[in-house]
Amino acid sequence: MKGVSKIYILFAVMTLAAYIDGQTEPPAQLKDPLFVEFETRAKEYSRERERLERELPPLAKKATPEEVMAHKEALRKAVQQYRGGAKQGDIFLPEISQQLKVVIAAQLDGADRVKLRKAVLEAENKAVQKRVNYPYPESQEILEMPPTLLMILPQLPKQLRYRFVGRDLLLVDRENLLIIDLMKDAVP
Amino acid sequence: MVNIWKWWGVLVVAALAAFPLPFAAQPAGPTAPAVSLTLPNRVDSVRIAVFGDSGRGSKEQYELGQVMYRFSQSFPFDAVLMTGDNIYYEDTPADMKKKFEDPYRSLLDKGVKFYASLGNHDSPNQRFYALFNMNGEEYYRLEKGDLSFYALNSTYMDKRQLDWFNAELAKDDNAWRIAFFHHPPYSSGKRHGSDEDLREVLEPVLLNRGIDVVFTGHDHFYERIKPQKGITYFVAGGGGKIRKGNIDKKSALTAAGFDADLSFMLIEFSGDQMHFQVIARNGNTVDSGMITRRD
Repeated sequence: MKGVSKIYILFAVMTLAAYIDGQTEPPAQLKDPLFVEFETRAKEYSRERERLERELPPLAKKATPEEVMAHKEALRKAVQQYRGGAKQGDIFLPEISQQLKVVIAAQLDGADRVKLRKAVLEAENKAVQKRVNYPYPESQEILEMPPTLLMILPQLPKQLRYRFVGRDLLLVDRENLLIIDLMKDAVP
Repeated sequence: MVNIWKWWGVLVVAALAAFPLPFAAQPAGPTAPAVSLTLPNRVDSVRIAVFGDSGRGSKEQYELGQVMYRFSQSFPFDAVLMTGDNIYYEDTPADMKKKFEDPYRSLLDKGVKFYASLGNHDSPNQRFYALFNMNGEEYYRLEKGDLSFYALNSTYMDKRQLDWFNAELAKDDNAWRIAFFHHPPYSSGKRHGSDEDLREVLEPVLLNRGIDVVFTGHDHFYERIKPQKGITYFVAGGGGKIRKGNIDKKSALTAAGFDADLSFMLIEFSGDQMHFQVIARNGNTVDSGMITRRD
């Protein structure tokens, strides 16, 4: 029996070690209360949006294009209606935006970041109408978010994405494509 | 009395059979290119095709699809990896038909499965589209025999995805590990080129976790990169619209490149070897070779 207990303990320790090995520790700045507040607000959107989605017919993981489109539009309508009073700055509070701009500037400024800045500023998404609770048009390019920046920005719920459009930073729902909030002049 | 008209008719029919007239029915599109394989084509090997940046619904895309089908008759691959930009601009049902289902109809009807990764022109909702076999995930692992294929979403390489990739590789004991995604860590493209920011984050994982080969797109041509720290990278972005002359000829990265026309890759895994053949829209081979698996 003792031998069996030791095996279980050893298994648990090895599992925990493997899990930790697969994870990366978030930078200290992300424990800043402002970023914690930002994450809380983002999660609140995510919770409400999940609640609204549960009221819709579920979308299969192998769907037809018609089903995908119908689900996207139904979810978009539901969220737009729910967030009828949403405005810029609901999640990107001014004080949060100030801090995030510092983080972004550190990543995108400097001579070694010229190519990265150029890619951000020259993306084919100039026709995006940057308004909260409006959709990001599917005809417009989804610019790659710089991975080094994503590693240090506050992590979003999986339904939300950061997205640069020109010098502005948007929060976009990855499925209904609504602009949830936006921060002007995020890129220095 | 000899029926001269009867014998005249027989003569005409015989002449037509021997020498068809120029306006007799010909196959539509370009002259059917001959199929010439450089691959071993062994019975027990794993065979796939790879291409990217295809989804425009262009005449050239359709033609390349026909060439792929023709090659599949001699080299029966059952899977295609797509390196992103699968559907440009809108992805309504009509767009999916025009930009994907119709160009590859012959292959789809044959049962070939397409496995997509997402590019910067792809809606994340493509992950629900049945024929892309993403099973609702933006990044996923696919297994064939003793091969693991990892589809990643390089448009949004966040900590969540990187941790997933790391964790999956840590428990993967397959012999071959292949990654495919859109943005190339290494590329000689003048329009885009190497994605150094992605490389900074992703390359340590690729190296430490034993990735053998990487297929990418984004730059609209084909390029085989010289091995980088033991990993062979391919840019397979010539599936729909070519950027002619876009490979920087002064680049030190290029092992082989083709930027004159559309192309796709045929890949055969046999034991510790990966054989590849790159075919252009006219059916000509523009690159071929063999890679040995990393230890």
